[in-house]
Amino acid sequence: MATRRRLSGCGVSRRDMIRIGAGGLGFGLVGGIGPVPFVLNRASLAAAAEQSGKILVVFEWFGGNDGLNTIVPYGDPMYYKHRPTIGIKERDLLKIDAQFGWHKSMRGIKHLYDEGKVAIVQGVGYDQPSFSHFTSVSFWHTAAPNSGNEYGWMGRTASALDPAGTRGNMIVNISDSQTLAVKGEHHVPLVFIDPTRFQRGVFAQEKPVLDALGAQHQPVGDAHKYVLEVSRSAAQASELVRAAWSQYPGKDNPDLRLLDLDKVAALIEAEFPTKLYYVPLRNSLFDTHVNQAAPHDRQLEYCADAVAGFFHEMHRIGRADDVVMYIHSEFGRRVPENTSLGTDHGTAQVNFVIGNGVKGGLFGTPPSLTNLVLGDNLETTTDFRQVYATLIEGWLGADAAKVLGQQFDTLKIFRA
Amino acid sequence: MANRTGWSPGPADWKDDLAPITGADWSYDRAAHLLSHAGFGGTPVEIQQLADLGLERAIRSLVHYETIPNPKMRAFVESGLWDPSLNGFPESRPEATDRALKSGVSMGIDTKPDGNRPVQPVSDRFFYWLRATMLETRRLGYWWANRMVQTLHPLEQKMALLWHGHFATHENKVRDYRKMMQQIALFERGATGNLRDLTIKVAQSPAMLYFLDAQYNVKGAPNENFAREVMELFTMGVGHYSEQDVRECARAFTGWYFDNLAFKVDPAKHDAGAKTFLGRTGNFDGVDVIKIIFEQPVTAEYLAAKIYRFLVREELSPALNRKLGAVLRANNYEVKPLLTTILLSKDFYSQSSYGGHIKGPVEYLVTMMKHLGADTVPGVPDFNQSTIAMGQHLLNPPSVAGWAGGKAWITPGLLIARGNVAREVLVPDMTGFRDWNFAAGSDGVLGSRLRDGYDIGAATAVSDPSRMSTFDMVALERDEQFNTRISGYIGWQQAARKLIPTPRHAAQLDIAQMVLQGEANTTAEAVDYLLWRLLRVPTATATRDSLVEFLTQELGTDSIVRARTYMEDALRMTAHLIMSTPEYQLA
Repeated sequence: MATRRRLSGCGVSRRDMIRIGAGGLGFGLVGGIGPVPFVLNRASLAAAAEQSGKILVVFEWFGGNDGLNTIVPYGDPMYYKHRPTIGIKERDLLKIDAQFGWHKSMRGIKHLYDEGKVAIVQGVGYDQPSFSHFTSVSFWHTAAPNSGNEYGWMGRTASALDPAGTRGNMIVNISDSQTLAVKGEHHVPLVFIDPTRFQRGVFAQEKPVLDALGAQHQPVGDAHKYVLEVSRSAAQASELVRAAWSQYPGKDNPDLRLLDLDKVAALIEAEFPTKLYYVPLRNSLFDTHVNQAAPHDRQLEYCADAVAGFFHEMHRIGRADDVVMYIHSEFGRRVPENTSLGTDHGTAQVNFVIGNGVKGGLFGTPPSLTNLVLGDNLETTTDFRQVYATLIEGWLGADAAKVLGQQFDTLKIFRA
Repeated sequence: MANRTGWSPGPADWKDDLAPITGADWSYDRAAHLLSHAGFGGTPVEIQQLADLGLERAIRSLVHYETIPNPKMRAFVESGLWDPSLNGFPESRPEATDRALKSGVSMGIDTKPDGNRPVQPVSDRFFYWLRATMLETRRLGYWWANRMVQTLHPLEQKMALLWHGHFATHENKVRDYRKMMQQIALFERGATGNLRDLTIKVAQSPAMLYFLDAQYNVKGAPNENFAREVMELFTMGVGHYSEQDVRECARAFTGWYFDNLAFKVDPAKHDAGAKTFLGRTGNFDGVDVIKIIFEQPVTAEYLAAKIYRFLVREELSPALNRKLGAVLRANNYEVKPLLTTILLSKDFYSQSSYGGHIKGPVEYLVTMMKHLGADTVPGVPDFNQSTIAMGQHLLNPPSVAGWAGGKAWITPGLLIARGNVAREVLVPDMTGFRDWNFAAGSDGVLGSRLRDGYDIGAATAVSDPSRMSTFDMVALERDEQFNTRISGYIGWQQAARKLIPTPRHAAQLDIAQMVLQGEANTTAEAVDYLLWRLLRVPTATATRDSLVEFLTQELGTDSIVRARTYMEDALRMTAHLIMSTPEYQLA
């Protein structure tokens, strides 16, 4: 018990970490050798739940997923008019109702839907949308469309949950560089992609000096201040992540492995106090301008299988009730197919909110395929910040208006 | 101890002032600052040479480098992996094999007249080229990094690296190292030339045309990918043009394509009609629209900011940005006058610019070699693996937006990776090293099964079906015409047979000699010498003290003279520790 408390003492504050000194906590615990004393018993799980409670995992399908070929409006003849070649035939769909069907590669998520755990939200976007991947994703990251914010919406959510910034490792970002969404005022996100590389290679005699690298020092400027800050948290965080990973039994799960959700599962199993996980897909694999059918089929299948595998893991770990996953892109794609058997950048898209706490079903108003806007595009019927507000308020229990700067109507997608 | 000038940034109120400093402000330390920003740093001898030139000649030598001989630059030696049958390489494996199934030949390979898997050689051929161009691109990146270390035109290489990240294309999509080679040549030649000309040349380069789907941008069916990125990322930045401008711009570029390594225009596919673009109307083509883009003041500001942030520091005030844009515009987008203005300015030598730049991973590694006086990048550790671990894969930027740079280079994980790379360079694992160019990754498992006598079906089967991924399932349900999984392995084998091996030598260093030449007598003097030589920002006293303590303990004495016969490894560890400091990440 004492050991566990110290391990999940990743709950120490940044101030504590500075006081302890970078590496001090980590090296003292594991010494870089031997098994890590993780104790996974019921009592510790209960303690972890009390400490970390509900978890939100955002899985960002970067590249602009083609929502119309994900949740397919096969009941609307206009769909096949707009997409004579790449439109998905009715017989190839996993039907939801007389109007909509799942792309068959979405089988993994469809199973969860059948169990009543998936909310499908259609028509999600924002006014005056940008057709640029990078601009649009920055709007989503900051929750500030056609505007901006120094901090990301996850970072601001962490501030709302813990205004004093006393809780460590509130946010984890599985990425090779920090995603704007997780940038926060009071919390340094833990950013990594490969736990096995997330450690300092040192010779034994070098260790005392490495501990001194985080020594208090007057920064000469902004860049220096930033590097000093990261340096202080690096040593401690790396020990904790590696310990979690080395204990994680799901490492060889091929469904998870492809898309980094295994790292999230490992940290959750190790009882990290993290409440917010952000996992952006690597590479722009959903950017299907050309010959989109084969790559889109494959990409959806990888993603849906990974999501299914992830929830299977949550069930095994016993945390399925505590985790909600939110899936979105930076935009959908244009309604008519282009002449390269693909689709160009578009507007409104389909989102998914998944978890035991979710009331399954179709939410949001499906955009019309007849009254297109902005040059052959779908009209936005749900502002993405409504979905954010739903997650912040309905799931995490924080003040959404404070995070988002204004009040948004929420969706009734969570079980009471 | 030699007389060493200390760290001497200019006054804080020099910030944002583009007026030039004077000869009286010039010193060894200012020359060190200049070389670390306008190049990749240097040895004390190199910095002294620059200082001795005096302020104006020093800057002229960096900016107007063309007349300075550069004897170590050598052409890239190709492995001979490409042949003309690979021209028009299929975009996917299905396309490759469908071609063969339809016509009996694909990429110069005939289908077998009879027998099992008649299209297997075609599938193998497809993977051969994927592996071949990937492996050759690794060699190309390594070759380029060595140019950065060996050049006598450091600003040329620094700017070429900037343009590679700015006009980003990546081999992973382009799938042709030869087109990436053209990009490097283009960025070196145009490094400090005219930006309008460079943009036009980039827009006409096969790598970029392929990367942004120009071949699909044809009259009557414009593809906007290229037009959008030209404005959003290469010249103006978002918010300075309308969606209508994007569509009109795409029309102007219709008909542009490439054949093998040459730019071509297909008049039949070019939309010659009138376009209204950024307020102007005419029968514009691609060159015309680029010229119009360069008439916009915002273009000069956008590009000047890019150059400034890459060379000087992240933080740039709108007022200074406007002034820099005006300089670029007044000089018709010639880069040299802007560089001269920046590098001479009080702002550049102000306190805010000292340590205001976070080195990128390639820069970090090249700088390390320059600091240590090595004349090549080592083969152990592998150059590409090292920089990938630090977050930068040369010739494979993550997207068309290039690398974010600045603070994005540093996360806890990436900072740790930097220290680890320093250790691998200083204390390389010569006996544990494995050359990844000759290790087929997960495909290697299939290879060993084949060599153990299993047939292709058995070799590609998964031993425990209950643990199979859907991906593997698909592989099992394979087309009987061929087996793609085995092609990944065979393709690698075929490419590796031809690939010129990368020399796997350790960095050639003599830090003991370096410290002795620095006239260090004690461990404290040795540490101070190394800190002075390696850092552009002073480190904490506590860190310095613990380094002295470490070195003294390792050597068993505080006397460098006493320890001179055995001190190399301890000094290397000291350098590793210095390179792991927050301060070493800055310039």
